[in-house]
Amino acid sequence: MTRNFTNISGRAWVFGSDIDTDQIIQGQYLTILDYSEMAKHTFEIPRPLFASKVKKNDIVIAGRNFGGGSSREEAPKVLLESGVGCVIAESFARIFYRNGFNVGLPLLIAHNAAKLVKDGDTVSVNLVEGTITIRRSGDVIHGKPLTGRILNLLSAGGAVQWYRKTVGKR
Amino acid sequence: MGMTLAEKLLASHTDDGKAVAGDVIEAHIDLLMVHEVLGSRIIPILKEMDFKHVWDPNRIIVVNDHWAPASDINSAEIHRRNRNFVREQGISNFCDVDCGISHQILPERGLVAPGDLIIGSDSHSTTYGAFNAFSTGLAATDSALILATGMSWFMVPETIRIEVNGKLSKMVMSKDLILRILKDLGPDGANYKSIEFQGTTIDNMDVGPRMTMCNMTVEAGAKCSPMMVNHFVESWMKDVAPSRKWTPTKPDDDAVYVKRLTYDLDKDPLGPMVATPDNPTNGQPVTEVSGVPIDQAFIGSCTNGRIDDLEIAAKILKGKKIRKGVRLIITPASKETYIHALHEGLVEIFMDAGAIVTNSTCGACVGGHLGVLGAGEVCISSTNRNFRGRMGHKDSSIYLASPATVAASALEGAITDPRRA
Ligand code: SF4
Repeated sequence: MTRNFTNISGRAWVFGSDIDTDQIIQGQYLTILDYSEMAKHTFEIPRPLFASKVKKNDIVIAGRNFGGGSSREEAPKVLLESGVGCVIAESFARIFYRNGFNVGLPLLIAHNAAKLVKDGDTVSVNLVEGTITIRRSGDVIHGKPLTGRILNLLSAGGAVQWYRKTVGKR
Repeated sequence: MGMTLAEKLLASHTDDGKAVAGDVIEAHIDLLMVHEVLGSRIIPILKEMDFKHVWDPNRIIVVNDHWAPASDINSAEIHRRNRNFVREQGISNFCDVDCGISHQILPERGLVAPGDLIIGSDSHSTTYGAFNAFSTGLAATDSALILATGMSWFMVPETIRIEVNGKLSKMVMSKDLILRILKDLGPDGANYKSIEFQGTTIDNMDVGPRMTMCNMTVEAGAKCSPMMVNHFVESWMKDVAPSRKWTPTKPDDDAVYVKRLTYDLDKDPLGPMVATPDNPTNGQPVTEVSGVPIDQAFIGSCTNGRIDDLEIAAKILKGKKIRKGVRLIITPASKETYIHALHEGLVEIFMDAGAIVTNSTCGACVGGHLGVLGAGEVCISSTNRNFRGRMGHKDSSIYLASPATVAASALEGAITDPRRA
């Protein structure tokens, strides 16, 4: 799979800090076996209109500690399923950070993005350089570029595809 | 340079015996616990991986605990898949819907020993730190890779050392202590880090209350929270796994810590704590929130559904009636806990007081069944998470507290200081 890591452009959905996994996808939906069905409930509590309005490559931007709480991989999965192109946060909760790359969802750590970007702004993200460009103003925010191991996981399309190409072949 | 508990525990599971904070290492897993996530998410991933056999059927335990017995058709399907999987793969450690909650069952079955590296497909797998193990939660994809290979990669965590000395006062439980510590750390205060507990309070603490503390360290983002072996752990191991050989792991005296917190409970006594909605780190003294009316009180979960939790609740409820219009739901953490409570006569005390005693399951804790909250309802709960919508409707609210505070509040129909019950 070839993926565009240098120009992911879309509308920004801006959130505050401590968005836990129940805010991304509530526990009551975890028994839904089909991800496209489950994704209809993404951000249902903090942003009830998200699921019906989100477009391919939209960008989620948050403050500190995005994805805290449960280990549920359904959280990054429903974001991916909804078409989210990248999540940017000041910091990510540990398990969410690992899960995001495992399922092939790009995550970028950048300070102040949630303060500088306005909800609804169009932004483009370059994962390799770790930059976020705000279309409206032309301002560029510098985050932490993604490096080798993680870019490999993402370009393989997540950990399962990476396993098929590497360990599974041994 | 000296090593922390987390570094030592991880180092003993690598090929080269090394693990220094900040390193990324590959480690061999002693035991993997998977629950409903196996049927719902892991099995479909295994199919994509062309997976054939688990790396070692004796190092896996499968538990149907979250929606036990099945609460709807989907959970029934998930349970069915899990049953088929354990049969096909020859996994003997299987707990079906009659057993209880994973984090209680693993220690009860002697599957957790000091020195172990244990992974669970559940964030509260930090619980086993109470037994001097390195344990943490990973999700579906990582669990699938472990099922296939028995290995996983880890970033060796930095460590926060938390020392607690002194005695807990009457009606103050380890839950109150961890709520206080979480308040001081904040929701990401231990993100990616290990919390190493030390001090006389921890040394003199029984296995159950230790598990409560380690269970909740993840609410500050901790990766693991190993404690040292004490005589309660020793006698627990003698009871549940007399033939297992293990050696205690200790940190070096010159281990490097990124942060130290100290609590002296004799100088600075701790009272009962309540975490207000919508975060477990919102701890406040119970006196600050006394009188908030409640609709439901819940005692259960992997945090506080053990026999010592039920005993203190029974002590408060004995011979009394809960306030009219309030529901008190009690869910023993495991079947073994349930039987224990029956023998001690606790179940009768609860039912006489007006409580509902359910089978052992996660149930209400995850908003699954057996106590889901409706719009606008308020619950005081002995569980570990009070995120918005966690136990049901998005406009319900949850206050977290010890089983003593929950029981006292059920009697009054409002949040109540258990020292006054
Ligand atoms: S009791 Fe609650 S916190 Fe514990 S494993 Fe079950 S759902 Fe998770």
